[in-house]
Amino acid sequence: MDKKRLRIFILLFVIFVVSIIVSAFSGASQLKLDTVVGKDILWKIRIPRIVLGLLVGGALACCGAVFQGLLRNPLAEPYTLGISGAAALGVTLGVTSGASGIYLPVFAFAGSAFSVFLVYSVAAKKRFSNPSLILGGVILSFLFSSLVFLIFSISKAEDIHGVMLWLMGDLSSASDYLIRIIPFFILPGLGLLFVFSSELNILTLGEEKARHLGVNAEQVKKILFITASFITGACVAASGIIGFVGLIIPHFMRRIVGVDHRALLPVSCIAGAGFLVLCDSIARTIIRPLELPVGVITGIFGGVFFLSFLLKSKQWEIF
Amino acid sequence: MNILEVKDLRCGYDCERGAVIKDISFSVREGEFLGVIGPNGAGKTTLFRAVSGALRPWEGNVFYKDKEICRIGPRDFASQVAVMPQMLEITFSFSVEEFVLMGRFPHRTRFSALREKDLAILEEVLRLTDTFSLRRRKILELSGGERQRVLLAQAFAQEPQLLLLDEPTLHLDISHQVQILDLVRRLNQEKSLTVIMVLHDLNLASSYCDHLLLLKEGKVFKQGSGSEVLTYQNIEEVYKTVVVVKQNPISHKPYVLLVSEEEQMMRRKLNNTERRWEEKETLRTLSNNTESTEE
Repeated sequence: MDKKRLRIFILLFVIFVVSIIVSAFSGASQLKLDTVVGKDILWKIRIPRIVLGLLVGGALACCGAVFQGLLRNPLAEPYTLGISGAAALGVTLGVTSGASGIYLPVFAFAGSAFSVFLVYSVAAKKRFSNPSLILGGVILSFLFSSLVFLIFSISKAEDIHGVMLWLMGDLSSASDYLIRIIPFFILPGLGLLFVFSSELNILTLGEEKARHLGVNAEQVKKILFITASFITGACVAASGIIGFVGLIIPHFMRRIVGVDHRALLPVSCIAGAGFLVLCDSIARTIIRPLELPVGVITGIFGGVFFLSFLLKSKQWEIF
Repeated sequence: MNILEVKDLRCGYDCERGAVIKDISFSVREGEFLGVIGPNGAGKTTLFRAVSGALRPWEGNVFYKDKEICRIGPRDFASQVAVMPQMLEITFSFSVEEFVLMGRFPHRTRFSALREKDLAILEEVLRLTDTFSLRRRKILELSGGERQRVLLAQAFAQEPQLLLLDEPTLHLDISHQVQILDLVRRLNQEKSLTVIMVLHDLNLASSYCDHLLLLKEGKVFKQGSGSEVLTYQNIEEVYKTVVVVKQNPISHKPYVLLVSEEEQMMRRKLNNTERRWEEKETLRTLSNNTESTEE
């Protein structure tokens, strides 16, 4: 069993490395490493972008697995509790009030922090069950996106374009300063999620049973919720709303390594990172010299790939 | 020594709907096998949840080894008390092995790898519950009886001193019912594991439990040994159903027979004919007597 897991791990890692190399050498212009411009393109544009893709992809996939486990619902994803909608509202407000591009991540992060605070404080007070928590999140998402469209419909078209790109998820925002900041938001959080993966396993049996198996359910749940939301907020702030990675990668990995989160979280991380970087290289090259937002590619390619996988496999159950 | 003590317990779910457990006190000695019985809605599962620490008492208290149960940390509690709930909704299909090993959680520290002791206990409990051959299977693929045995294996893996079971035989056929309860009984006797079990089936309760606690409307109606509690007067009073209590021919423990409406009619007719016959007899003896005195 463990040998099999090791082999999968190695295979994933190879794919991961290959996707990084492919990504470094694909883009609007041919990469010529012997020229100064070529070196600049590699180090100042592509590498930061790859690093951001790795961080965001890995973090989203990992948080997706955590949310699915915590909410005991295979359809949960990092955006289920309304983080994305609130971040979108924050960015839209920021753009229409004339803030410059550098501050958009701040607006997005403020938005997502607000929604997490809202959902969590209400849930903690009312002791919500998981289904009502999910329902509340879905309602909040709708509310926020309606507000976004409201603002859209009363503002100028050129303002909207930038926000639209961001809404679809976009890694081209990878600037020097973002790359320096984002790892501090994401990596410690991911570490914390890994540390609590045994508890997460037990929490999937429900809070009452978890307590009876010795897990301080309320406390662990709080830690995991807040950490995963925080990471998701950071991802959204850095690169917009990249869909699908957080939903599909954990499912896909669960089929391969099983449902044990001690294996699932790191494997999802690696797979999500590789997947997003690969999608980004496609997004940059497919209609060269123009670029697509990476969220479009994750949706289309990820969807087709996973659907074909689902159709091919004998079992119809998702796990 | 008392391992568990419930004192003047009052609790429930919703203040407006009132307490489900109104006033319950009892204690459980180490090594005892206690059965909790009572009709639907009498508060069996609520009592179970209060005793397992999942429900806070409104009044009164539950003590485990003289310590208030809500003051014992989850890890401490789980390393001594194992709880097997009536229903466990499983979302993700862990393998049986992974699932049973979760029972070792309270005994492990965060960064320690699986020790040999954990693996030895894993194998022991799998063999004990006859689930060793299932260890690589996914838990959602198992049948009801198999899943129940795996749950029990997980509880045993906690190496508990007190085992709480809520309807462990629900949805099981008779052979699985007996299998599960035999196993619990064996551990109760061999390892002096204390067991508190909620049961619907009065006859299973009678044959496996040392002591019974009969609940009625959130209060203890009667407690004591099987033959003290399972009398037809008690049962008819609490369950509002006509029963006949006989003795099990092998164990001499009480055995409760249900009496259907039709059977009750038959009995009444029988009684009537008996009574008529008796009346005739008395008349006859009376007349005989008078005749004899006349003579």
